[in-house]
Amino acid sequence: MHGESETYTSLLPIVSVALPLAAAAAVPVLGRIRAGLRNAFVVGVTAAALIVVAALVPAVAEHHRVEAHVPGLMGGLSFAVDSFSLLFALFAAFVWFASTLYSLDYLAHEHKHDRYHVTNLVALASMLGVVMAADLVTLYLFFEALGLVAFLFVIHTETDDAKRAAVKYFWMTVIGGFALFGGIMLTFALGGTGALAPLPAEGAAWLRWTAAALLVLGFGVKAGMQPVHVWLPDAHPVAPSPASALLSGVMIKAGAYGIFRTVTALFRPEVAEHLEEHAWAFSSQLGMVVLWIGIFTMSTGVCMALLQSNAKRMLAYHSVSQMGFILAGIGAAGYLGAHGAMGIAGGLFHVLNHALFKACLFLGVGAVYVRTHSLDMYHLGGLWKRMPVTFALMTIAAAGITGVPLFNGFVSKCLIHHAIVEAWELHEVAALGIAEKIYIVTCGGTACSFIKLIGLVFLGKEKTEYGPEVREAPARMLAAMGLLAAAIVTLGVRPQIVIRGIFEPGLHLWGLHPDILEEYLSDYFLSRGDISSVVVAFAIGATVFTVGMKTGLFHAHLPNWVSIDWWYGKAVRALWRVTELIARAYERYLRFVSESLEDVRDAYERVRVRVERTYRRAIAVATAGVAERDAQRAIARAEVVLDVERHEEVRTAVDRAIATLASAGVVDEAEWRESVEAVRESAAYVAHRLFAVRMAAVQDAVRQGHARAVLERIEGLVADTIPARDRVAAAAIAAAADRRAGRDVARRLAAAANAAASEERFDLKLRALARRTAVPGERLVAGAEGAPVQALRGLEQAAGAVGRRAAAGSVTWGRWFADMVRLAVDALVRERAGRVFDTASSEESVLATRRAITRYARDMSFNVAVVAGMLLVFVAALARSR
Amino acid sequence: MGAGAEVLWMVPAAVFAPLAGGVAAAFSGSWPEARRRALLAVVSVVTLVLAGSVLARVTAGDDMSVRLVKMTPQVWIHLRVDALGALYGAAAAGLWLLALVYSFGYMADEHRLSRYYAFFMLSLAWTVGVAYSGNLLTFLVFYELFSILTYPLVVHEETPEALAAGTKYIVYILIGGSLVLLAIVYTYFLAGGQDIGAPLFDASVPRSQLLVVFWCFLAGFGVKAALVPLHGWVPDAHPAAPAPFSAVLSGMMVATGTFGIMRVVFNVFGVRLLAELGVMRVVAGLAAFTVVFAAVLAMHQDDIKRRLAYSTISQMGYVTLGIALLDPLAATGAIVHVANHAFMKGALFFCAGLIIKRMGVRSVSELAGAAKRMPVTAAAFALTSLAMIGTPPLAGFVSKWYLGLGILESGQVAYIAVLIGGALLAGVYLLPIVYRMYFREPAPIAAGSPLAESGSSEAPATMLMPLAAAVLLTVALGLCTTPSWSPLQIAKAAAEGFFR
Repeated sequence: MHGESETYTSLLPIVSVALPLAAAAAVPVLGRIRAGLRNAFVVGVTAAALIVVAALVPAVAEHHRVEAHVPGLMGGLSFAVDSFSLLFALFAAFVWFASTLYSLDYLAHEHKHDRYHVTNLVALASMLGVVMAADLVTLYLFFEALGLVAFLFVIHTETDDAKRAAVKYFWMTVIGGFALFGGIMLTFALGGTGALAPLPAEGAAWLRWTAAALLVLGFGVKAGMQPVHVWLPDAHPVAPSPASALLSGVMIKAGAYGIFRTVTALFRPEVAEHLEEHAWAFSSQLGMVVLWIGIFTMSTGVCMALLQSNAKRMLAYHSVSQMGFILAGIGAAGYLGAHGAMGIAGGLFHVLNHALFKACLFLGVGAVYVRTHSLDMYHLGGLWKRMPVTFALMTIAAAGITGVPLFNGFVSKCLIHHAIVEAWELHEVAALGIAEKIYIVTCGGTACSFIKLIGLVFLGKEKTEYGPEVREAPARMLAAMGLLAAAIVTLGVRPQIVIRGIFEPGLHLWGLHPDILEEYLSDYFLSRGDISSVVVAFAIGATVFTVGMKTGLFHAHLPNWVSIDWWYGKAVRALWRVTELIARAYERYLRFVSESLEDVRDAYERVRVRVERTYRRAIAVATAGVAERDAQRAIARAEVVLDVERHEEVRTAVDRAIATLASAGVVDEAEWRESVEAVRESAAYVAHRLFAVRMAAVQDAVRQGHARAVLERIEGLVADTIPARDRVAAAAIAAAADRRAGRDVARRLAAAANAAASEERFDLKLRALARRTAVPGERLVAGAEGAPVQALRGLEQAAGAVGRRAAAGSVTWGRWFADMVRLAVDALVRERAGRVFDTASSEESVLATRRAITRYARDMSFNVAVVAGMLLVFVAALARSR
Repeated sequence: MGAGAEVLWMVPAAVFAPLAGGVAAAFSGSWPEARRRALLAVVSVVTLVLAGSVLARVTAGDDMSVRLVKMTPQVWIHLRVDALGALYGAAAAGLWLLALVYSFGYMADEHRLSRYYAFFMLSLAWTVGVAYSGNLLTFLVFYELFSILTYPLVVHEETPEALAAGTKYIVYILIGGSLVLLAIVYTYFLAGGQDIGAPLFDASVPRSQLLVVFWCFLAGFGVKAALVPLHGWVPDAHPAAPAPFSAVLSGMMVATGTFGIMRVVFNVFGVRLLAELGVMRVVAGLAAFTVVFAAVLAMHQDDIKRRLAYSTISQMGYVTLGIALLDPLAATGAIVHVANHAFMKGALFFCAGLIIKRMGVRSVSELAGAAKRMPVTAAAFALTSLAMIGTPPLAGFVSKWYLGLGILESGQVAYIAVLIGGALLAGVYLLPIVYRMYFREPAPIAAGSPLAESGSSEAPATMLMPLAAAVLLTVALGLCTTPSWSPLQIAKAAAEGFFR
C-alpha cells in the first residue's frame, strides 16, 4: 500500500454496523405494538444503513482508506474501508434494502415475522462488519456471526426439508469457521499481525500452504466453492425468497471477499517489493489453485443446475457456478501477480453483478411462488400474460446473468475471460487454454439454463388452470425487483462507473497496474470479439436446450457416487460410528474394570478367611500337638468328664467324713474343720492320681485313633467308675487320722490310688470300647505324627469348626447361663460358701469356662510371641543395616 | 511494595467468613428458612467483596502476606496472595455466590439442608484457602480439607447411585491426595519449606528425584483435574450431586486440580527447570488426548449432566494443555480459561438443573421442544453452548484464542488441530441439545402433570437470576478483555510473572 499518509478515521463504518444491530433489539418491541410500524422501521433501518454506507463514498474517494476503531475484544474491533470494502458494503446494503422491502409482502404467508426481521438486521450488520473489517479477528468475529445467524434464515419455514438443510448448513458453517480460525491462527504463526496486509515472506512453505488452504477452505464453505458447496443447493431454496436472495446474492460474497483478501492481500508480497518477480511465486501458485477450483466449480455447478426442476434449486446451483466465475477471476489475478488488475476487476465486478441479478432472479421466482405456490419449472408456463412486469424484470436479470451485451454480466464475464486469456498468454500453460474453453462452454450452459427458466416459466402455454389469484405481484415486491433491474441495466451500459470509480483507485492503492482496465474500456468494451464469444455461448446454450428438452437429458438422475454430498454423508456416518465404537469400547472397559475389582475383592475375602483359619490351625498344632478335630474334642470332653468325676470323688469323701463326724457327735468347730480338711486333702490327692491315670489312658486311646469312640462313650465309661468313689472315700478317711497326726501319708494314698486304678482297669475298658466300635481305616492314621498332613487336609472341613468349636466338648450357652445362676444362688445360700465354692464346684459349665479361658490365653500368648519375634527380627535387621 | 496492615486482614477474612458461615449453617436446622438464607447470602457477598478487594490490591501491586499459625519453627500456616491465586479466589467466590442463590430455589424441597449449606459454605472456605496458600503445607491442608469435606455434598441425595458415586469419588480423591502429600513431603525434604513464589527447585537437585516428585504431583493433581486415565470419578459424581453443587464441582473444584498443576509447574519447579527436564511434552500429549477423548465420550452420553461432566474433562484438558506448553500466551489462555469455564459450565449446569427439576427429564433425547416450555433456560443454554465452543465474542473464544497463540508461539503447531478439534466436538455434543430444544416438536404433555395446567415450566426468578448472571458474565468475559481489571489482563500479568 502507498498509504503512508496519515490515516483518516471516521465513525461511519461503526455506525453502519451498529445501527442495524441496535435496531434489531427494537424489532420485537415494535412488532408487539404494531406490525406495520415494525415493517416501516426495518425498511427505514436498511435504507439508513445504505445511506450511511453511501456517505462513505466521498471519504474513500478522497482518502482511499477510512479507518475506525472500537476498543474491547482482543485489543478492539478495527474497521478499515478501502475501495473494495466499499464496493461490497454498497451492494450489500443496496440488495438488503431491496430484499427487506420485498419481504414485507412475501412474508404474509410465513410465520414468526419478528424473528425474520431480527435475523435480517443482525445479518446485515454482520455482513457490513465482515467487509469493513480491518483485521482478521474482527473479520472472523463478524464472519462467524453472519454464518450462525443465517442459520435462522435457512430454518425459517421449519419444514422438515428446511430443518435438514439448516442442520447441514450449520455444521458446514461451523467446520468452515474452525478451518478459518485455524487459518487465521497460522497467519500469526507466519509472523502476521492480524491485519489484512501482506504477510512476511519468511516462514516454512508447508505452513504457508496449510494457512492458505485453511483460509480458502474456511471462506470457501461460505462461498459455495466446490467441493464444500454441498449445503448451498439445499439451504438456499428452502429459505423464504427474500432470504434466498440475500443468501445467494450477498452472504456468499462474504466468502468471496475472504478469498479475495487471502489471495490478493495476505499472500502477496509487500507493495514495496512488488516488482521482484520471485516475490510473487507463492501467490501465483495459490492463484493457480484458486483459478482451477473456480473452473471446476463453475462447470460442475452449471451441469447440476441443468438437471434441476425446482426453480430455486436451479438458481442455487447457479450461485455455485457463478461463484466459480468469481473464483476464476480472483485466481487469475493471483496468478498474474502485479499484472492481475483484469482478474481482480473481473472477479469483483462479477461479485457485484451476481449480487444484483441473482437477488433479482430469486425475488422474481419468489413472486411466482407467492402467486402460484409452485416452484417446479415443468409445471409452470405462460405466466408472461398474468405477470408481465415480473416477466420483464426477470428477463433483464436473466440477460444479466447470461452476459447479454449492454447488461452487467457481459462486462464482468468478458473481464474474467480476458484475465484467463492473459494468464494463458503469460507462460502459455496448455491447461489454461483448456480452462478458457471450459469457460466458454460454461457460459453456454448458463445461457441454456436461463433460456429454460424464462421459456418454461413465463413463455409457452399454461400447463395448469390458474384462478384469478395468479396476477401481477404486489407493488412493493415489483419496486424491489425494479431497483435491482435498474442497477443491472445501468452497470451494463455504463461499466465505467464502477471500473473508474472503484477499481482503478483501489488497484492503485495496492500497487497494481490499472492501465489495462482503461485499455479494456477503450478497445474491448462492446468490441466484436467479445460479442462474438457471447454469441458462441448462446449458440451452445440453445443447442443444449434443444437436445436436452428432446432427449429428457434434463431429467437424468446421476448415480449416488458422483455426488460429493453422498460421500460426505458416508464419511460423517462412518466417523460417528467410530466415535460410537470408541464410546462403547470404553463403557465395556469400565464394566470390565469394575467387575475385575469386584473379583479381586471377593478373592481377597476368600484368601483372608483361609489365611485366618490356617493360622488358628497352626496355633492349635503348635500348642496342643494334635490337629485332628475329633481327637481334640475327645480329649477336651474326656478331660471335662473326668474332672467332674474327680470332684465327685472328693465330694463323696468329704460328705462321708461329715456324716461320720455328725454321728460321732463332734461339736467343736476347730476339730470338725480339721478332720474334714484332712479328708479333703487326702481324697483330692487320690482323686488326682486316678484322674491322671485315666487321662493317660484316654490320650493313648485317642492317639491310637479311637477318638470318635472316646467321644461317644466316655460318659458311660465314667459312669462305670462310680465304685471308685467309695474306694477313694475309704482311703481318704483311713488316711485322715494319720494325716492329722502329722505323719506322711503320701505313700499310702498313692498305693490306694494305684489299687483303685488297677481295680477298675480304665485303659482296658477303653480298649474294649474301641474294639466294639467299628473304626474306619483312615481314621487310624489320625495320630499326632500325621497331624500336619491332617491339618492341611482338614482345612476345608475346618471351615465350620471355628464356630462349632465353642460348643464342642462343652456346654450350650443356655445351660452355661443356667448353671452359673444356680451356682451363684447356691454360693449365696450355702453355709461357708466361700470355702466350698472355690474347690468343690464340679459343674461342667465352670470347668468348660475355665478350659476356654486357658485356651484363649494360650492363643493370645502365641500371637504375642509371634509379634515379639517379628519385632526382634525387625530390630535385628535394622541393627545389621546400620 | 508491602501492603499496610490495615488491609491485610482481608486475606484471612476471605477464608474465615465462609468458614464461619458454614459453621453457622450447621446449626441452622431449626432456624426459619428466610433467616438462614439471609445469613448465607450476606456471608457469600461479603466473601466476594473481600476476594474482589484482595484481587484489586494484588493487581495494584500489593504484597498480601499473612502468617497465621506456626506449625514448626520453620513452617507456618501462611496465606500469601499472588495474581493467580487472587483471580482464582475471586472467581470461586463469584461462582459460589451464584450457586448459593441458585440453591435457595433448587434445594427448597430437599432434605437435610443444614448439612448441605454447611458443607457448601465450608467448601468455599477451603477453595479460597487453596487459592491464597502461601506455602505448600498450607496448600496441602486446605486442599485435603476441600477434597474430603465435599464428600457429603456429592452423596447429598443419598440414593444408591449417589452413594456409589461418592465411594468412587472418595477413593479417587484419597489416592490423589496421598500422592500430593507424598510429593509435598518429598519437596520439603529436597527444597525445604519455602514460600510459594520463585521456583523452589533448581538444577542442583538430582534429575531422578525431580522426576519422582514431578510425577507424584502430576498424578495427584491429575486425579482432581480429571486428566484422562485418572478422570473416572468425574462422570459419576456430577450426575449424582445436586445441580448447584455440580456447577461448582465442575466450575471450580475440578479446576483446583489444574490450579495445583499450575502451582507445581510455575512455582515449585519453574518453567526453565521443566523445560530442561522435558516432561511437559508428555503432559501436553496427555492433555491433548484428554481433550479429544473426553469430547468423543461426551458425544454419546444421553444423561445431560453426564454429558456436561465429560465436557468438563475435555475443557480441563485445554487448561492442562495450556500449562504444559510452557509458553506465556498459552499459560494466559489456561488461567483465563479456568475463570471463563467456571461461569460457562456453571451456567450450563444451572440450566441442566432447571431442566431436571422443572421438566423432570434427564436425558438429551427427551428434551425436544423444551424451548417452548422454558424459553429463558433454553436461550441461556444456547448462548452458553456457543460460548463453550468458542464463538466470538463470547468468553470461550478469548481463552481459545490465547491458547492458540500460545501453541503457535511454542512451535508445537500440531496442537492447533487438537484445539480446533476439541472445539468442534464441543459443538457436536452441545449444539444438538440446543437444536432439539428449539426445533423438535415436544412430546405431548401427560394430563395431570403440573405442565398441563400452566403450559410453561419456566423456573421461578430466584433460580433464573443466578443463571442470567452467569450468562451475562460469560458475555462480559468475552467483551471486556482490555481493561486492567479484566481476568484476561490479570492472567496475562500472572503468566508474565511466571515466565520472567
